[in-house]
Amino acid sequence: MLNINSLNVSYGAIHALKGISISLNEGEIVALIGANGAGKSTTLNAISGILHPDSGEINFDGRSIAQSKPGEIVKQGIIQVPEGRKIFSRMSVYENLEMGGYSLSNKNQLRENMAQVFEIFPRLKERQKQLGGTLSGGEQQMLSMGRGLMAEPRLLLLDEPSMGLAPMLVEQIFTTIAKINNEGVSILLVEQNAQMALALSNRAYVMETGKIVLSGPSETLMENQMVKEAYLGG
Amino acid sequence: MKQNKIKQGVITGLTFGLIFIFLILTGFTQVGSDMIGNLLGNFEKAGAENALPVINLILFTGLIGLLMGLSTSKANLSNTWLASLLNSILAGLIAGLLVGAVILVTGSFHSQGVDFRNYLPKLGSEQMNYLLHYTTPLAAGTTYLITSTVASLIGGAIGKAFRQQSWTAHSMTWTKNTVKNIGKKLKLGQSPQRKIITILGLIVAGGLLYLLPLVWGSYWNYTMGTVAIYILLGIGLNIIVGFSGQLVLGYVAFFATGAYTFALLTAPQPHAILMNVWLAVGISVIVSTLTGLLLGLPILNLRGDYLAIVTLGFGEIVRILIRSDLLTFLTNGPKGVTNVVQPSWLGKVFSDVNYTHFLFLLVLIALFIAKRLKDSRTGRSWIAIREDQTVAQATGINTFKSKLLALALGAALAGLAGALFASRNQFTGPEDFTLMVSVNVLCIVIVGGMGSLPGIVVGAMVLKGLPEILRELDDYRLLVFGALLIAMMIIRPQGLWPAKKVSLELQRKDSLGDNIQEVEP
Repeated sequence: MLNINSLNVSYGAIHALKGISISLNEGEIVALIGANGAGKSTTLNAISGILHPDSGEINFDGRSIAQSKPGEIVKQGIIQVPEGRKIFSRMSVYENLEMGGYSLSNKNQLRENMAQVFEIFPRLKERQKQLGGTLSGGEQQMLSMGRGLMAEPRLLLLDEPSMGLAPMLVEQIFTTIAKINNEGVSILLVEQNAQMALALSNRAYVMETGKIVLSGPSETLMENQMVKEAYLGG
Repeated sequence: MKQNKIKQGVITGLTFGLIFIFLILTGFTQVGSDMIGNLLGNFEKAGAENALPVINLILFTGLIGLLMGLSTSKANLSNTWLASLLNSILAGLIAGLLVGAVILVTGSFHSQGVDFRNYLPKLGSEQMNYLLHYTTPLAAGTTYLITSTVASLIGGAIGKAFRQQSWTAHSMTWTKNTVKNIGKKLKLGQSPQRKIITILGLIVAGGLLYLLPLVWGSYWNYTMGTVAIYILLGIGLNIIVGFSGQLVLGYVAFFATGAYTFALLTAPQPHAILMNVWLAVGISVIVSTLTGLLLGLPILNLRGDYLAIVTLGFGEIVRILIRSDLLTFLTNGPKGVTNVVQPSWLGKVFSDVNYTHFLFLLVLIALFIAKRLKDSRTGRSWIAIREDQTVAQATGINTFKSKLLALALGAALAGLAGALFASRNQFTGPEDFTLMVSVNVLCIVIVGGMGSLPGIVVGAMVLKGLPEILRELDDYRLLVFGALLIAMMIIRPQGLWPAKKVSLELQRKDSLGDNIQEVEP
């Protein structure tokens, strides 16, 4: 479904991604783990078209999207849920979700999707008139994900969904991710919480300073000595 | 504990003392006393020495003392009567001593023949005599001290009494509940009645807008016309800054483009094109829009401060180009364009009443369009960009197109306002388009409340209407302006008539926040 081939991205003089290759099949959950500054978010931004690569290929369903604009990429079904629960804090929950469906032209479709999002996140339905900024951290993350789902993604790019949340909420969020995946949405998950990410995903890539240093099925990686030491606390 | 209780009085006293000294040195005390004199009707100069009534100055001092006393009482909610009054007296004494000392020192120098005008242009000999109450420095200083203390004590007592009874709190809740109840009664299943009231309200408002220009005379027509033009500018800039969040500081450039396009197309000099007025208005709007697009293309990828600086430069560049030798053949340079044509309808030139009606109509149309735009899909995409450009992009908004559209629409409105401005004044020159215009319009948007349309109307009234009405404050317009803006940002950061959501956010700041602890991973 998604094929990234020797992708290079730089911010001016800083070479952030040094020829990484990643693939993801329809229906999979693939995790991308690594420390701060390894290039995980950069990878997601390159896929969603917010950054443009210097060289390398990004193919979605066989078509190259490396130079496409974010709007076009959204229309093809790749939706990014940005890091740090970036919601529109002065818009209501309802309006936030509406914004998520910005690329849809059909109003009925918008309503259907909204109903579906409310089914996954009943909490959002209760709070639909509240301003985004007044939600709790966990609710904001739900809203951020719900907004992503509004655009009918085929591939959801999740950037650190567990960031800054209490352990109980992290578990809730991860359960929801599995639920979304069951509905047929493929997921590329960037996480620092390696334990949870590996437990949830089918396959995983380990990034270090702009390169992929390890990859394979998640169960195998969990047993890997290096991964254990560096990311799972020994 | 005890120290803390006194601290409030000391701080208030110091603050008000310094403010009062500032007012003295800038000559504002004179203006204040004159205004009081106007109110009391004893402004006339009395006696052979052209002496102004000293009582006005003392009343002005007392007024400041009263305010000081009130503000000490506000800070001491839980204090006893004794402590509260003690604080007021303390504040009054401190402020009085500060002011008295300044009067004593400057007064002594003055009586030895020192002229302050070289350093402080507002402190001439006459003003100094007035400040000294036409007596000796010592006597005047003592008067200030006593007045300040007594007034502060009275203010403190009044404030304390109000707090104690909490009349204010009661009346506030009473008003709120009454309004709520009326609102409920109107809403509860009586929507036809509600509709009738709305329609009646609209008819009354429309009638007023039609009738007032007929009766209130040409001075008010001129003033309200200026206000209307600034409302148009405010609506335009609000689309750019308030809705889409792009801080554009050179908004005057589009205003100038509109005014000059209109002037050059209709005036007999320097080109004698003498185009039809309405066609010229249309072309002015189009040219301004194109200027907006042209400026937007290279710079809209800049964000925040950088965009502000570049557009600031653009505003100045346009003005300098207009008056430059290089373009004098086209724009008539620093002399400006005279005899700009006034609009006419069926061969009859607009009277100032027609003109005011016409401007009001345009403002209503612009308000309506802006309101519809705000609630549209386009408007949503602007607000999303304002909130977070990256996320807006991630939801599939073409941020560049969207921002460009906002800029073009804002520029179009500025062009319209410019054409009307030039035709009403029958003149346009480069000095009409200084940076201050951009600043004024931005102030209107901010004071009214970012993103709020009724706020712009209120803001334009306050910032363009008030200075016209308060002519006496003319020299101090900028001073008052600055003070007003600072006070606004402290007391009402959401603006005078804020957009509903912004006010919600800014008022409830303390009850916001996550109930889940943020942990950096």
